[in-house]
Amino acid sequence: MTKPFQPGHVADTAATLYERSGAAAYGISAERFAAILDEILRKHPSQGPLHKSPQSSPHASPEQRADFCAALRLEELALARACAAGNEQAWHDFISRYRQKLHSMALHITRDAAHAAELADSLFADLYGVNAREELRKSKLLSYTGRGSLEGWLRTVMAQEFINRYRKQKRTVSLEEQTEEGVQFAAAVPEPACTSDPRLETATDEALAELSSEDRVTLASYYLDGRTLAEIAATLGLHESSVSRRLDRLAAALRKRILAGLRTQGMSHAQAAEALEADVRDLRLNLRSRLTQDSAATTFPGSRKIPARDGGDGSTD
Amino acid sequence: MTEVPKIVYDRLRAAQKNRVLPDAALPDSEHPDANLLTAFAERTLSADERDATLEHLVLCKDCREVIALTLPVTEIANAPIAAETEVDRAAPVPSKTERSWLTLSNWPKLAWPTLRWAALAAGVVAVASSLLLMHPGKLNQATLPSANQQVATPVPPVSGAQIASSSVPPSPTISPMQPSAIPPKTDGAQLNPKTHLAKKSSPPTPEAGRLMTSHQPVPSSEAPEVAATGAAVTSEPPAEATLMAQAEAPAIEKAKPPLQDTEAPAIEANDQQKPKTALAPRLPGANAMSVAKLAGNSSRPLAQHGVAWTISDGVLRRSLDSGQTWQDALHPNHALLCYATHGDDIWTAGQAGTLFHSADGGATWVQVQPSTKGQQLSSDVTNIDLQGSALHGNLPGNAPRPVQVVLSTSNNDIWISADGGTTWQKQ
Repeated sequence: MTKPFQPGHVADTAATLYERSGAAAYGISAERFAAILDEILRKHPSQGPLHKSPQSSPHASPEQRADFCAALRLEELALARACAAGNEQAWHDFISRYRQKLHSMALHITRDAAHAAELADSLFADLYGVNAREELRKSKLLSYTGRGSLEGWLRTVMAQEFINRYRKQKRTVSLEEQTEEGVQFAAAVPEPACTSDPRLETATDEALAELSSEDRVTLASYYLDGRTLAEIAATLGLHESSVSRRLDRLAAALRKRILAGLRTQGMSHAQAAEALEADVRDLRLNLRSRLTQDSAATTFPGSRKIPARDGGDGSTD
Repeated sequence: MTEVPKIVYDRLRAAQKNRVLPDAALPDSEHPDANLLTAFAERTLSADERDATLEHLVLCKDCREVIALTLPVTEIANAPIAAETEVDRAAPVPSKTERSWLTLSNWPKLAWPTLRWAALAAGVVAVASSLLLMHPGKLNQATLPSANQQVATPVPPVSGAQIASSSVPPSPTISPMQPSAIPPKTDGAQLNPKTHLAKKSSPPTPEAGRLMTSHQPVPSSEAPEVAATGAAVTSEPPAEATLMAQAEAPAIEKAKPPLQDTEAPAIEANDQQKPKTALAPRLPGANAMSVAKLAGNSSRPLAQHGVAWTISDGVLRRSLDSGQTWQDALHPNHALLCYATHGDDIWTAGQAGTLFHSADGGATWVQVQPSTKGQQLSSDVTNIDLQGSALHGNLPGNAPRPVQVVLSTSNNDIWISADGGTTWQKQ
């Protein structure tokens, strides 16, 4: 705790925040809580448009700091930090609130009872911080900052853990498969991307760069990850039908932009159209096989066969 | 769905590949931390942070997958609200009738289930028109029996009870007509005798009013005769009538359960109501055409499975039959761009800060002008997000409402209202 809250009304706000958090019930002092908030503030220097320059960020206007802190999930933050500090009452509350949920989350993520139990257990171990040395127990809950709900954070942490493990396991599995099925399994059809016209690539990159990040996420989720419209809609906070319309709009706009880009690079209209059309035709086959491959890869390795490489060579079918 | 050019796919993938190292195991430095991802999923990030996170998501398959995995199941399932179910079960009846009426010209090609409804509709039209014919002369003895023939024929098994019911003036006599005053959607509720009595005082549509006045003066002594005529006619029923009798069967089935649940006035009254309710669902069937036309947009659609919304050319449109037919629901001065629904709550917004809210499934609309600290929302609203309940619905103590309304505008402002549009915050 090096940067105490400034005096005046900010201190009042700090007191109010402390009050709201109910941290006192878990034995967290007002000073300790203020220090926690201060630490979180410095972790997120990007908060607010006025905080862009790094040197000014920790000292941004007190009002903005107060607004930022007030928007945090103070009560859940206090609970998480109290758990991290080993408060018994806090753990009791935490367990009664989230234990059941963590298990159903794990089941939802892994879709397999055994893996779910394993995942939930390992997350609990992280939350307790049992992996660290005896005296310096470092609970994962320390990294919770209250920016989202604690439940959502637990969900995210669990999903990250799942992805991490899955990736490790996937490498193991693919090695096994390679030895089992012979090296020709991995013998790759050359990456189609390498064969495409550099002008086409440039035009496409430019067209993509013009899209908003949300549009690009939509494209990547739909075409690369094979997500459903409903999933994309839920992720971006849109209606399913807006996602569908957006994808249609994007496909049309991209086509138009790429054609225009090709023509500025000296292609005739017909040439440009041909360059694009030729691709669309073999896409039908390629995209299908790749998408199925990608979506198969999203399940737990225990339940499905995993393709040899993350890069995806389209050779499995 | 339109396919994107293959090169788009390749370039997206290439960008992703160049970015993600094969052995990267989600180090904190490279990926947004769990707090950010959570706040992103819960849509509480500031615009800047949201953009930064999206930029990362474009390139990072792992984080996209983390986000996808953290989606609560409820958000994907789009589950219907439990309270709707009771009325819902009765609701498809009128819409089917309506549809079969539209396809009536294809008579020979119709499959049996459709034919049944067509026959029902035809019979009902016959009843309605003959009752209307009767209107000028009010107590025209020649037309009255013929009108009632139609009413009585479909239910020969209960014609005895029909006599009893007709002889109890005036409520049972009126109530078969009563449904025509009420939009078809309320079938289930209206079979409840209590609702009958309550609704009787409400002003009926002109057509229904005529039916009632023409029928009311019939002396109760005449009713047995009427029913007898009905029974006599069953010996030589027209083809339609047989069809109607068949069609009636499901209607009776449907009509009974609500009655059993109600506090019936008396046991014998309960018996008498059976024929009445058997007729009742048929009459609202007839009104599927007339009432739908009369009431138009004002008929109250309950939030139900068949309801779908869309925006085309800046007009909000509604379908009551899962998208087979569409009606304009809202056509403001400025083009609408987006909408969001949550149960009966519908929000729609568009150009120049246009924002409308309906809390009753689209029956009535209120224009909302968001403003905060002297600023008014005047830019185009590109997205509406109703959040709160789906995301946190499984937290104890969080009621489904109030829903937080989040508007995203074309100039990247976010407007949030946590109290249904009364006060707004701008981000």
